[in-house]
Amino acid sequence: MAVCVAIVGKDVSRNCLEANEITLKYTLMIYEYSCLFLEFPKFISCLNPDEELSFQYKVLSSLDIVEEKINGINKASDNRELFLGMLYALETHKIYGYVTNTRMKFIIVVDSSNMALRDNEIRSMFRKIHSEYADIVGNPFYTPGEAITFKSFANNIKNIMTGTV
Amino acid sequence: MNGIEKEMIDRRPLVTCAGEIEVFSAIEDNLLQSLPKDSAEWKRSLGRPVRSVHIGANFVPFSSVGLPKGTQWDLIRQPLFHIYWTECSDVDVYKSTLKEDIETWLRELTFKDIQDWLIVVVENYDGKRANKLLPRTTVLDKIRADFAPKQGDRCISVINPGKSDATESWKGLVTRIRHLLLIAYAKAVSRLEDHVRQQRERRNDPGWKFMEYFQLQEELAQVLEMLGLYGEALVQFDELDALFSQFVVNGVTCESVAWLNDFQTPLERWHALKLGPSHLPRSPSILELRAYLFAKQAHMLLLTDKVWQMASRCLPFLHTCTRELSILEISSPPGALECWLFLAAMEVLQTCDKFNHADEVEAYSMHTASLWAYASQKLKALGELCGLLPGSTPTSEQLHVVVGLSAGMGDNPGTPIAPSPTDKLKEALCSQEAFNKTYLELAELAMGTYKHTGRVRSARLIGREVAAFYMLLGETQKTAAFLSDASRLFRQDGWLEVAAQTDRELADCYKQAQDWRKFIRCCAHVSAAVDLDTLVRWNYFDEMRKHVDKLDKSLIVPFSDIIKIVSVSVKNGGIVMQDSTIELECLVTSNFPREILCSNVLVSLENEPNKRTERYLKGRSLTDKELRNSDGGLKKLKIQSYLDYKQDKQLSSVSVVNKSKELQRKDSSPPVYSDFGRCLEAVKLPSLLTPGINVMRLTAKASQIGKYHFGQMAFHIGQLQLVSQPLIPRLAIEVIEEGPSLRLYKEPAPLLAGFEQTMNVIFTAGSYTIDPTTKIRLNASRGLSLQIEPEAALTSSCEFEVGHQEMFSSTRRKLRVLADMLSKDQQVSIICPWLAKPIVVSLSFTPPLTSSWKLHTVKHRKFLLINLMGQCHTDLIVGRPKLVVGKEREIVDKNGEQEDEILQNGLSYSYMWELIMDPKPSLTLNAEFNITYRLKGILMEPKLYQYFFDITDYQTLYVLDATLEPTKGNEFCRVGFLCHLNLSIKNVGDTLEKKAATRSIMYEVLAEQSVWAVCGRTAGVVSFEPEMEPQTIVLDIMPLTSGYLPLPLVRISKYIPAEGHSGKHETHPRLEPFSPGQVYNATKGKQVHVIVTPNDSNL
Repeated sequence: MAVCVAIVGKDVSRNCLEANEITLKYTLMIYEYSCLFLEFPKFISCLNPDEELSFQYKVLSSLDIVEEKINGINKASDNRELFLGMLYALETHKIYGYVTNTRMKFIIVVDSSNMALRDNEIRSMFRKIHSEYADIVGNPFYTPGEAITFKSFANNIKNIMTGTV
Repeated sequence: MNGIEKEMIDRRPLVTCAGEIEVFSAIEDNLLQSLPKDSAEWKRSLGRPVRSVHIGANFVPFSSVGLPKGTQWDLIRQPLFHIYWTECSDVDVYKSTLKEDIETWLRELTFKDIQDWLIVVVENYDGKRANKLLPRTTVLDKIRADFAPKQGDRCISVINPGKSDATESWKGLVTRIRHLLLIAYAKAVSRLEDHVRQQRERRNDPGWKFMEYFQLQEELAQVLEMLGLYGEALVQFDELDALFSQFVVNGVTCESVAWLNDFQTPLERWHALKLGPSHLPRSPSILELRAYLFAKQAHMLLLTDKVWQMASRCLPFLHTCTRELSILEISSPPGALECWLFLAAMEVLQTCDKFNHADEVEAYSMHTASLWAYASQKLKALGELCGLLPGSTPTSEQLHVVVGLSAGMGDNPGTPIAPSPTDKLKEALCSQEAFNKTYLELAELAMGTYKHTGRVRSARLIGREVAAFYMLLGETQKTAAFLSDASRLFRQDGWLEVAAQTDRELADCYKQAQDWRKFIRCCAHVSAAVDLDTLVRWNYFDEMRKHVDKLDKSLIVPFSDIIKIVSVSVKNGGIVMQDSTIELECLVTSNFPREILCSNVLVSLENEPNKRTERYLKGRSLTDKELRNSDGGLKKLKIQSYLDYKQDKQLSSVSVVNKSKELQRKDSSPPVYSDFGRCLEAVKLPSLLTPGINVMRLTAKASQIGKYHFGQMAFHIGQLQLVSQPLIPRLAIEVIEEGPSLRLYKEPAPLLAGFEQTMNVIFTAGSYTIDPTTKIRLNASRGLSLQIEPEAALTSSCEFEVGHQEMFSSTRRKLRVLADMLSKDQQVSIICPWLAKPIVVSLSFTPPLTSSWKLHTVKHRKFLLINLMGQCHTDLIVGRPKLVVGKEREIVDKNGEQEDEILQNGLSYSYMWELIMDPKPSLTLNAEFNITYRLKGILMEPKLYQYFFDITDYQTLYVLDATLEPTKGNEFCRVGFLCHLNLSIKNVGDTLEKKAATRSIMYEVLAEQSVWAVCGRTAGVVSFEPEMEPQTIVLDIMPLTSGYLPLPLVRISKYIPAEGHSGKHETHPRLEPFSPGQVYNATKGKQVHVIVTPNDSNL
């Protein structure tokens, strides 16, 4: 059971060219994203809404490490691996990261005392979130780049967090 | 090896020495040193890789009592290699005593199943060997034959190294010992490994004790360490670590493990980790066990130069310890755990510092940053516990706590220059001042290291904590600096709620500092933060309003999230006329929690630069989408493919070139404040800005022409000025002026010469007013007169004043023009003072009537036909035609009495007079035809139309006649039969005419080819003799069709023969036509009846 899930907008200004390397083969219509917010929190859900602010701080600081992992040492390793593993641990919480091919960052915060959640469980949790996210992006009523405010999405994420899915 | 002291527990293998001990003791030291110097290959079981290791040894005298059994698991602690030393060189001595001794020694070994032995024969090299040629005569040979016939390597001879040059031999010995020792040792290690494995598998058995197992595996680790296999030693410790963690976790979830209870005792000591060589106390507390294990791991890491890994393991280790303490419900005095954690973190940091290699700083600072942060947090927690935070004073209870904690830490004194973490913590807990210093030092280090490693967000989050601390210290300036840095970063990332919280703290900070200007700015942000609680926002909003009223000078605050521009649209067209109003409609969203009265709303107008560097919008309005696009969203990259060819035209490389500039962070450029000197103002002031969408209408008078774009928007609330970012893409507007214009228009009908007509002069004022007394002059060309004043007489030029005139209005003036009949094309030039060149208007006048005349002849009688054609679009009334020819020449009017006739446009009237011939004809007659005309439907005096013409050569000179008669015997002219054309030309002219030239006349028969076929000549020249006989010419001609056919046309012309004799200029004969009236052609109108040939109609 995770205690917090966050979806953070990509740092697109830096990644646009990477993404376009692939699209270049097919079309020269290349778009440059220059988001106003580089790490925009698109969605945050916490089991306990009162704690949301404190989780926001945790997620925010984890972004540093996500950035490091994307750009840094791990680059040589398998690019298809989206799961970044544990980003860092606090006394009370562990923070895991996952990044999509379009550099959308998913963050899961887990209680440190929760021994039942191994990397594999976290990984599958991330996969479920990813598929939910993909559905939302495909939703014509959603404007990419904006915060996700759909109730159904929030519910689905809650279910993934609590492990009822 | 990093200068780390060697392990204190000696795990070197024990080697026994038997035989002549004194021989051995002479070389013992040498051997002790030489053995570990070189590495040897260690082949291992279970397919593990071959390692090259260093092995040393401890030598002990051989005793049969201490011999272990060869199959024991703890061989490692027992003597495991045995060497027999002898110096004997005499074979006889060997046979008598030595052989027996060796036999006894070897028997004892074999009894214990020990295979690992070596017999060394030390030879004192004394020059030449006499019996070198005889084989198997040395002691060594004997021993080899007796004891190791199949294991030759178990016996070795060595030249005493003490004696002379024996390096080779010595090396051979050392290598041999090393090799055999390693074989023995490997056996022992694998025994130990097996044993450890067995023990581990029994871990769930009752009575199994972790500490016992711990020591066992630690022994293995130590062995590996001794061999220099630090990595493998670390694996052993890691296994122990994991095993323990597993027990603790399972101890909670599954049934309790008995031995864990030993650890569940309250904490009494929280000594530092003591990295480096350490002993595990007899019955360790969990912290001591953990510390020991970590120290071991750290030691192994340091030995392998992995300082950064030690740093990276520290924090998870500390978290594990904390968690295990809570799982095992181990009670500890408050603050004790924090002390221990602090000390541990600090110690690791200090160790990192100690083993600092310049090239590794990067690698481990990634991990030390969080350790610094962790240490500072722990210290802060301790400070809170002990009442050391600024603004509080420790109570006596808290002082007691400090004493208790300090005692529990134990003593770990460092040097005065480098105090140990324990010293530091004790000092920090002693006084507030030291505590502040230590805390800030740690926090700054954490921040600095985070920043250094690029973890800006983490750094800023620490910054917030430091800010809170400074706030307690009352150093608001520092607080503000940290908080505003943090707020800016959060805002950049779009974490608005976090940013708003930080802003709130910042506002409180400014309030404490009484920096009201900044306080207002912060309050504006906080009150506009939608993520915050409404009550909080109201509170800050009210505070803001209260303080805005107190401002003495203006305060500029950027819009950021307070007000958002949704759309901007120009209500005018693309071009604005000078002096008209520019109207702008802006849709803005206010995020203020309540409505607020704006004293002014402005949008600045900026001059458009000559070169457009920014993006400009084509349309008339900026919508939400475009405004957002300027910040981000989808923008097309200016990417081009770039192909690079080799010299042989082969493709060398393909690349993509991005021409766009590097992206800039939004906040990296300093805010721009444009000049609001020229701006649009709200229509309605003061205007109310309500939460949510507001429509603002702004206007400005376009006083100056030029190209402009809209710069920024500003809301003034008292002295507070909220200013937007520049509106990009630019919305451009052009203010232009239009000069006055003057035009001359005619009526739809064409202008007629001779009549006074009116034209319209239309003056249109432009976008600016001109002086009403400005005069405009109209000049007419010759033959044209005009006048603009209604009553004045027509002149060749006139002028008028433009008078007072509204912008863009036009006035029409009537211009009367009159052109004479003589010239058709006229022009009027208009001279305006504001134009350099006069405006020239071409006018074309048409006469109302045209006429033509024609002379008709009947024998000698002459008739004049005058044709009058109307050219006027309106009907003309003509009357009283009159012809005067020559001086009183008699003419007969053939027109009869006539009323006035109506002459329509394009129609004509003909008039006829007979000219009575004068007996004395003059050569030329002047004729004048005149007729009165007036426009129908307009009351006017009839005007006189005059037509002058001359009549010349009007006297009849020749009469031409012709008859057609059938050939003889034929009654009629028939088709296809030849007929005779009798042509007669008679000179009837004045006999006075003497010109010879006129006497020769050329006739031509111009027969129509489909009707007549002329046989023979069709033309000829005849001459007239003075007797004036008519000339008759007969031509053969054949009709080709039947019916009443007009006779063929005959033309006569004057024939002027060639004048060959007169000189050089030989001329050709030429023809001159007669003028009409000189020849009367009677054949015109004559017809002949041709009938069809009967042969053809024999039906």
